[in-house]
Amino acid sequence: MSKKVKFNLNSMRAGMTVALLLVTMAGCSREQKPTVKKIPANAEFSGFFKSYANLKPVAGMEGAVGYAATNAQKNLHKYIACVIDPVEVYLASDADEAKLTETARAAATEYFRAALVKSVSSAYPVVDQAGPLVLRLRAAVVGVDFGGEVAAADKDADQKKGLAYSVNIGKVRVEMELLDSETGEQIAALVDKENLGNGAEIGSTQLARNVKWAAARAAFDGWALRVRDFLNASNELSPEDADKADKSYQPYSSATVAAK
Amino acid sequence: MKSALLTAVILLVSSSGLCAAADRPGETFHAYVDTDICSRLMLGPINEARVGCSLSTAKDGDEPVLIRLQNNMVLTVNKRKMVEKLVGQFMQATGQVKVSDGTMKLSEVSPEQAKDIPAGDPARKLIDPQTYRTDAKLYEKIRHELAMMPYTSEFDFISFSLMGTDVILTGWTVRSTNRSEAQSRVKDVEGVTSIVNNIDVLPLGHFDMQIRAGARAQLAQSLSRYFWGSGSDIKIVVKNGDIILLGTVATKEDSDLAFIRCNSVPGAFHVFNLLRVRKSSGS
Repeated sequence: MSKKVKFNLNSMRAGMTVALLLVTMAGCSREQKPTVKKIPANAEFSGFFKSYANLKPVAGMEGAVGYAATNAQKNLHKYIACVIDPVEVYLASDADEAKLTETARAAATEYFRAALVKSVSSAYPVVDQAGPLVLRLRAAVVGVDFGGEVAAADKDADQKKGLAYSVNIGKVRVEMELLDSETGEQIAALVDKENLGNGAEIGSTQLARNVKWAAARAAFDGWALRVRDFLNASNELSPEDADKADKSYQPYSSATVAAK
Repeated sequence: MKSALLTAVILLVSSSGLCAAADRPGETFHAYVDTDICSRLMLGPINEARVGCSLSTAKDGDEPVLIRLQNNMVLTVNKRKMVEKLVGQFMQATGQVKVSDGTMKLSEVSPEQAKDIPAGDPARKLIDPQTYRTDAKLYEKIRHELAMMPYTSEFDFISFSLMGTDVILTGWTVRSTNRSEAQSRVKDVEGVTSIVNNIDVLPLGHFDMQIRAGARAQLAQSLSRYFWGSGSDIKIVVKNGDIILLGTVATKEDSDLAFIRCNSVPGAFHVFNLLRVRKSSGS
């Protein structure tokens, strides 16, 4: 390759890098806004799903129903990264909306989002921008309620920023869907009705630090792990594909040539 | 007065120590000058096939790297010009090696012949084809374990080399966990005694992602028989705008078609076609 061509390639690469940075910055500025909604009284489908008709019981996961696309062109195997939206909140229909503050919303969602990132990222590395080969993960905690006033002893050091009322996640369910981040087409979905949060309350923005809220942490960690279990099960190779993958895979190595 | 003298002595001693550290040339070792692609694919004896791979990919502009013959470690160097004319050759390299990120600050290079490496030197042992004679059953067990990794896609290619019972993992992956997963799976194979992990984790920048998607779309359209629900016979490694085609196809025409289609992917800088053509049963 001549020096001139190399120089042009290097200039092109530098130009592309600058363009990429600009695109990335533009992408970052369009941050997804967190959603809080209230479940209408007597609603059958309470979160962002309008119907559970295409969801089937997930083998080995009690209380969960799910769906994973099997289309040869659009399935979980065809994606290699993921963007994770802020977790949405659906308040219980009898919850007192007046108690809902931005602090309470953040307390009920940010730890869970971090748990999802931790649990999903080793399967689908988390990136900050939608694009080709990137999934978009939406999750919601559905049925959030409020408890009593947080006791003075349990409040955050900075009481102005702390929670006045505890957030009750004892009866929530979790809804999750994975979409093609470019087209919005649903690739997988999961509704986890398993009540992991029995008795769990959150009374602090510092959820990770206080033993008092350990049950809530355990519940969020548990749901996040079950999302990962679902992804693992959905990514398992069918016997036919496993056979193809086994036959297809041959390492490159000059050693094998020499060993013959 | 005494304390002033003591301070001066301490300063002198410490400054001489610092200078010595700054001037330290690092270590000297025997190396083979390879290219990034071949170093991650063709580990093994430096035979004709290996040198051919190094020379052809260097000609196409692939980055030169050093292979430390003592343990087959791949090192990216800071002074590319010092080594780019030595691709396909052996040399003695002097400089500071940072094992954690596989880099080397070169201070001196000196070309040499394989025969210059003394008998009994670990570096000599590693370039001897006899070293690579190994148990076919063990090879197959490792191959099968790597083939069955669940989160590998057509954008990953993990390869390996076996020397006796020592495994060198190489290749590229878009998921950092595949790097550790591969090592963990191979470690659990009975009979394996050591592993060097040279698997490169690819960045997931938007630009490379567009090239990956574009290349897959092009290939799936014209060579759809090589693609199935969860994978494909053709692997598409994309790194910093370059496409590396790997895997096996049935004919030379298919290999050429894959090369042509990938060359039309918008934004791709260069296509390295390393597809193998399946030998017919009669040959």
